[in-house]
Amino acid sequence: MSAYRERAATEIREEHPAATLTPIMRKLVDDSAAMLTRGPADARARATAARAYAIDHLEELQGQVRANFMRRGIGYHRAATDTEAVAIILRLLGDAKRVAKSKSMVGEEVGLTHALRAAGIDLLETDIGEYIVDIEGRGPSHITAPAIHLNRARIREMLARGGAELPDDDPVRLSRFVRDIVGTFFADCDAGITGANAVIASSGRLMVVENEGNVSLGVSHPKLHIAITGMEKVVADEAGALAILEVLAPSATAQPLTSFTHFLAEPDAGQERHVVFVDNGRSRILMEQRYRDILKCIRCGACMNGCPVYRAAGGLSYGSPYMGPIGAVLSPLLWPDGRYADLPGASSLCGRCTEVCPVGIPLHRMLLDLRADAAPKASIREKAAWKAWAATFGTARGARAASALGRIALRAAGSIPLRRGAESADPRLLPLVEPERDPAALTSAAAPRHPLAVVALEEISTEPDLETLFRQRAAALGVLVVAAAASRDGDRHLRATAGIASTGSLVLSGPAAARRPLLAARRVVVHLDPALIVRYPSDVGPYLGDGDTLILTGASRTADIEKIIVRGIHGSEELVVVVG
Amino acid sequence: MRVALFDPCYLGVLRPSDAGHARRVLEALGDEVALIDGRCCGQPAFNSGFRGEAKSAGLQLLRAARGFDAVVVASGSCTSMVTHYLPGLFDGSKAAGARHMAARFHEFASYVNAHPNAGALALKLNGVVAYHDSCHLRRELGATEAVTALLGRVQGLEVRRLANEAECCGFGGAFSVKLPEVSGGMLRAKLEDVSATGVRVLVSTDVSCLAQIEAGARGTGVMLETWSIAELLAKALP
Repeated sequence: MSAYRERAATEIREEHPAATLTPIMRKLVDDSAAMLTRGPADARARATAARAYAIDHLEELQGQVRANFMRRGIGYHRAATDTEAVAIILRLLGDAKRVAKSKSMVGEEVGLTHALRAAGIDLLETDIGEYIVDIEGRGPSHITAPAIHLNRARIREMLARGGAELPDDDPVRLSRFVRDIVGTFFADCDAGITGANAVIASSGRLMVVENEGNVSLGVSHPKLHIAITGMEKVVADEAGALAILEVLAPSATAQPLTSFTHFLAEPDAGQERHVVFVDNGRSRILMEQRYRDILKCIRCGACMNGCPVYRAAGGLSYGSPYMGPIGAVLSPLLWPDGRYADLPGASSLCGRCTEVCPVGIPLHRMLLDLRADAAPKASIREKAAWKAWAATFGTARGARAASALGRIALRAAGSIPLRRGAESADPRLLPLVEPERDPAALTSAAAPRHPLAVVALEEISTEPDLETLFRQRAAALGVLVVAAAASRDGDRHLRATAGIASTGSLVLSGPAAARRPLLAARRVVVHLDPALIVRYPSDVGPYLGDGDTLILTGASRTADIEKIIVRGIHGSEELVVVVG
Repeated sequence: MRVALFDPCYLGVLRPSDAGHARRVLEALGDEVALIDGRCCGQPAFNSGFRGEAKSAGLQLLRAARGFDAVVVASGSCTSMVTHYLPGLFDGSKAAGARHMAARFHEFASYVNAHPNAGALALKLNGVVAYHDSCHLRRELGATEAVTALLGRVQGLEVRRLANEAECCGFGGAFSVKLPEVSGGMLRAKLEDVSATGVRVLVSTDVSCLAQIEAGARGTGVMLETWSIAELLAKALP
């Protein structure tokens, strides 16, 4: 039995992952598709082109990043391996003892949390989902929703294990409980470690997306900010970064954009910023013509959201930091020592992953290639079986004889279960040869249990003007759009550099982007000149400037518990826009 | 037009009379039909990573297809193997030859729907069925619309679409044997959607999916017959 099968069978038997995952993922995939249609029609093509350009010019762009970092005073580091990445970060941390970490898949890949704690550092996972799975101790089960395998009751159990006394399992209460722990930690902490979704070569800025505000805290509160990311995460320019943004949140979580999109420039006075680019096998993958496109991945998780294997067996079954179809391809490539050799088999090759990938990675074809690469290492028995099979189907006579034998065997077997045992998760009986037909079957259908799909009325097709569209989309995010707002105690009034209609977003630049006062405010009131509203994220390039910039899309929020949205995590729940 | 009907290897095991159903439909369209049996497209070995073995089996199929203008295949999955993957197993000039041959392969239902005489078939069958969309038909061949259009030509037939139609039934060839617990889990989700339609007959272009769904239906006590589109059309012929 393969290691994957063993883990999957155990998960299915003990945790019933499908019960939690299937309804959530079905809705997510539908909502993602709908959200993508709100963007420009060529969004996926442009995101794909931006990623393709990046991996085709990787070292050239890394050179530009390095030069721009030097200009901005950002530390540039390259780690060849996972252990080197940890060593660099430990050196950068110096005598820092309390470290706040936000979500980073590369962090999982290099085993950062474990390694830093082993070195005596007091590290806190500040993402709500990561905080929960950190207590559970089995790692994240999804790249954007780490605790998606746990329902609210189990999460309450986990938090209780950490010492929490919670009267019920209301997701709002559970989310805010973790938020408060994280908020307290940030009041006294020495360093923040974050990931980075893209590093922009032409300007030397980091693009980081998040919903909760823990990244906002991590890049602004401690004196030291370290970002860890894969070396492939560079992108040529702001246009490329915006092209990725247009597909990232819609594909990941069916949001127009995440609450916060940071474009981080030079550190504030008295602050240090470093970026660690991790290779750990990526240079090797880049040389492999059949697999190099996997480095186009933007880690949205759409492939696992759509994957029926992922839904049936859950993300922990993969036993790798990277799960789902991206994990089944990437894990054996990053760790060619054979520990993940069976993951390419964890697919029915249905092709849904390739279909939903927003950057055009042919995932199911790569799985086929990986299976072919693994065939020489198959068991002697399996090799012999395929040799015999090929000999049989090498002649028509052999093939016909095999068919006849198959029929005889199946008829003789009769109605027996394919697998025995009460615990078997497999409901199948052996297939019948030419099953009997009931003449009445065709005309004895019952009424459908659910209403059948109804063709939806076409959405009203008249395109609203930009201001109206902005108002609609912002309101849908829970933002209050008004003509005037009287000042209140605890308000922070800001002027937006631009607005984005299709996503209901606000662009804040320079001092207006300062995270500390923004997150401390009781209410945020942003003044927006309607002449500064553009249609799509990709149109906002001219307003991004060259310095620190923040795109706000609704109030801070989380959906880490059963994908239920809880607003007002770090930062105010109240976001008001004054258009005029 | 010299037309060959390819009876896929597993179909010969599970539904030996299915080729006869398909032949009757093609003949009703006015095609002169020869049968290719005792061949395999190579997909079982290909999906397991054994490409040399897949190539040698697939080569026998391509050889048998010589001299025909069209080869009609009663399986979306086998069709996609031949048209999308088999030519890639050959080198240089042989690849070009294989591509040339592979381009003549057509999935049965889409072939029937696009046939110039399709409108004259006078298909009629009273009853209700649900339609299962095979993944390879849907995503590799992009033929879902052609198949549902063909079903729409059958007078008196109500065709119910499954909720979550784009989801896999969990078959996936060797996958269903190597990872039975996962395959079974996927199948349970599909069975729920099939049951919810209330039908007792499920139709599809791919008997491989149907055999999986039927095996699960019998194992869980769901009353369900599974028919290939060829069987359905043969019954609907005048």
